[in-house]
Amino acid sequence: MPLDYPLVEHTLANGLRVVISPDHSVPTVTVNLWVNVGSRHEVAGRTGFAHLFEHLMFQGSRNVASGEHFSLLMAAGGRLNATTWFDRTNYFETVPTGALDLALWLEADRHGHLLDAVNQANLDNQRDVVKEEKRQRYDNVPYGNALRDLYATVFPDDHPYHHPTIGSMADLDAATVDDVHDFFRAHYGPDNTVLTLVGDIEPEDGIARIERYFADLPAIARSPRPNLPQLDPLSEPARHTVISEVPNDRLYLGFRLPTERDPRYLAAALAMEALAGLSMSRMVRRLVRGDQSATSVQGHTMGFVDGVSLGLLAVDVTEGVDPNAVEEVLLEELHRFADEGPSEVELEAALAGAERGWLSDLAAQDQRADAFSHQALLHHDPDYVNRFLDELAAITPEGVTTAAKEWLDPHSRAVVAYLTGQDEVA
Amino acid sequence: MSTLTAATKNPAPSPRPDVTPPGRWEFPEPTTSRLDNGLAVAAYDIPGQYVLSVRVVVPLSTRDEPREHEGVASLMSRLLDEGTRTHTTDEFTELLERKGIDFGAGLSESGLTVHGEVSKRNLTDALELIREALAEPSFPEKEVTRLIRTRLAEIEQERASAPHRAMREFAATWFDSAERASRPAAGTPETVRGLTRHEVVAFHQAHVAPNAATVVIAGDLDGLDAHALAADVFGAWSPAPVAQPQLPTPSRPGDDRLRIVLVDRPGSVQSEIVVGCAGPDRRVAPAWAAYPVLSFLIGGSPNARVDAVLREDKGFTYGMRSSFRPRRAGGLFLTTGSVRTEVTAQALGLLLGILDDARDGFSAQETTDSVDFIRNTAPARFATADAVADEAAGLSLDGLPPTFTTANLDAMGELTPEALRAAYDRFVDGQWCVVIVGDASAYADSIRALGRGEVSVVPN
Repeated sequence: MPLDYPLVEHTLANGLRVVISPDHSVPTVTVNLWVNVGSRHEVAGRTGFAHLFEHLMFQGSRNVASGEHFSLLMAAGGRLNATTWFDRTNYFETVPTGALDLALWLEADRHGHLLDAVNQANLDNQRDVVKEEKRQRYDNVPYGNALRDLYATVFPDDHPYHHPTIGSMADLDAATVDDVHDFFRAHYGPDNTVLTLVGDIEPEDGIARIERYFADLPAIARSPRPNLPQLDPLSEPARHTVISEVPNDRLYLGFRLPTERDPRYLAAALAMEALAGLSMSRMVRRLVRGDQSATSVQGHTMGFVDGVSLGLLAVDVTEGVDPNAVEEVLLEELHRFADEGPSEVELEAALAGAERGWLSDLAAQDQRADAFSHQALLHHDPDYVNRFLDELAAITPEGVTTAAKEWLDPHSRAVVAYLTGQDEVA
Repeated sequence: MSTLTAATKNPAPSPRPDVTPPGRWEFPEPTTSRLDNGLAVAAYDIPGQYVLSVRVVVPLSTRDEPREHEGVASLMSRLLDEGTRTHTTDEFTELLERKGIDFGAGLSESGLTVHGEVSKRNLTDALELIREALAEPSFPEKEVTRLIRTRLAEIEQERASAPHRAMREFAATWFDSAERASRPAAGTPETVRGLTRHEVVAFHQAHVAPNAATVVIAGDLDGLDAHALAADVFGAWSPAPVAQPQLPTPSRPGDDRLRIVLVDRPGSVQSEIVVGCAGPDRRVAPAWAAYPVLSFLIGGSPNARVDAVLREDKGFTYGMRSSFRPRRAGGLFLTTGSVRTEVTAQALGLLLGILDDARDGFSAQETTDSVDFIRNTAPARFATADAVADEAAGLSLDGLPPTFTTANLDAMGELTPEALRAAYDRFVDGQWCVVIVGDASAYADSIRALGRGEVSVVPN
């Protein structure tokens, strides 16, 4: 079932790649920019910098005062934000059609002329804000640093995904105004960016407006390294145990997976659904509804581009139950799945859920724009958004079985255990 | 060499573009019908929305729970998809997931909401399963026991989460202890441990029936007769003599609510702050319209009054939010967020100052900008089937008409700074109930020194 969201691509002379998908059902337009820089590009001693930099993009630029980006767009009826992730940084707003020019003008000003406004005071202020974000979302939350620990256990020390996007307090403290200048010059340029418009705009009109505001931005001298080669699964189990004041024992099992556009990635993702993502999945049935040795089991995958992706299981262990015994059951189920493969019903359910999830993701203009930017920036293929369901439907039970055998082998697991330390510490 | 391209010139900056204001927008109008069993049906056709969104809302109140069985309504809602008279737990789960139906059930202060998200071609299956879950749940003994245990684990997880812990303490401090609202909606360890299948079945029988319920179906309905389909599926749900939920009256605040409670967590790196006072419900006179505008203006963005100081000037917080939160009757005005431990007292002093100073009124620019934000973001906020169904379900549970949303946005267009000030003054009198979850020893004395109320310290 191919989807048919309309799609026009265009590249400006300075290298800015544009994707436009008209949808006149609502009188708004989403402007969505993906810049090809994320925490995977950070260097030792400057972890967290891509994200700190993203905050500075709201602190003014050549013709825009600090905070004005937010206040002008919001007063015009815009909703906006930005996020930073391993692979990229995105900036986005959904505005009434009559505010599209304002949005493009503001984006062009900061994506072209940020450094005119960067100074020690706004760096210091946003450094403090980001440190509070780190405390609020990670350090002051039970299990808040578990994923950080899992990345560090699954991926090699020198790998781009070894450290989390939020970075470390010491590295945030070390960031200087010079770092900001260098980072902007190295990564922020039209030839390292995709700009997507989805909504109440025709392609020709949209391209003309983007030319008006972005054509003057100079290309940057990029020397991008190619993505790293595919990492093999871990050659032996790895383990990290944290004794901490958590409400209950929780186990995370992580696996290296193929990169996100490798067909084996989708097969592994469906295997993860059948194992632990669905309510009817094997692990939920056995551990949660069966012997009730877990109060919850979750399974999902994160697709990346730089040589590896991540598959993970998270299990809340019932009070009084030995987490080692629970882990044994997980391993048993992984073995069984690799031997048997998915049942017809498991595959049917995993596919049905993935299809509904994909359609839900595309239901709103802003999320659709994000999907187009993603596929355009990282894979030069925005039409993948329309083809995804066909790719999914092409996956066979054998493909899922093989993916599970190769990539979800218990021997290749990384375990991060957050334990209350009340009963089971050896 | 004259090889200058557009990319290397340094042209005069283009002037900031003007904004053309959008036209008036209206929340979509449903087509409605009512089945013989009393169930109301509202269908919203939203072309292009191929994942359909279904809600069934059943008005009921946790006030109707026996004191010793608090949490039974929530437990009942969580058990609806755990098996029916015709399907075991595993069978029912499989039926939902083979059709890709995202099923959920939740309890709010106004009632029970069951929701389903489903691809258009599987709508009939989704409606069938939702009916089955509501009309003939079997509440298997084993699943009752399991979900009680899950709730007990959840209580511990909520205790460990600073925002949850803070809200629990706020409810206990603000509301009179005789009020149901002073205690967790999903029950406490004492009440949840005592629950059995018997109480769950009885509560379901007494409160869940089609008589007062509404089903909302939203999405691309081209080629579908949602009303005929609903009649076909839900017609088999037998009406029953259910108790009317208790009349919505505001929950009484406690006599000693105006004070500062520090929930002590030694070693905490941040302090979670909740500051609150009374607020209105959506039926307030002259209109609810002022309150979403005030929420945004005071604490709804990085440039709003609170974060302009605490985040953008001081760097004390990742962000704090103020909002008027309507309840079925009465409401609260809450400001919440976290700051680093060392600045807790200073942040609280600044925050209370900002909230108090707002009683002096608002500028014309603030008023216009805030009104425009809320009105002009509405088309995109309500563009998906899910968002429309959610709004419609919420209005129905509160007994408000589907025209409320549009009328409210229209009323906002008439707001003046004076009207905002009057609306704020009506509830905010400079007296606050404050809860802070964090390392109390680090700031208890400096908070006492603020002189903003009696300070007590309680364990986490």
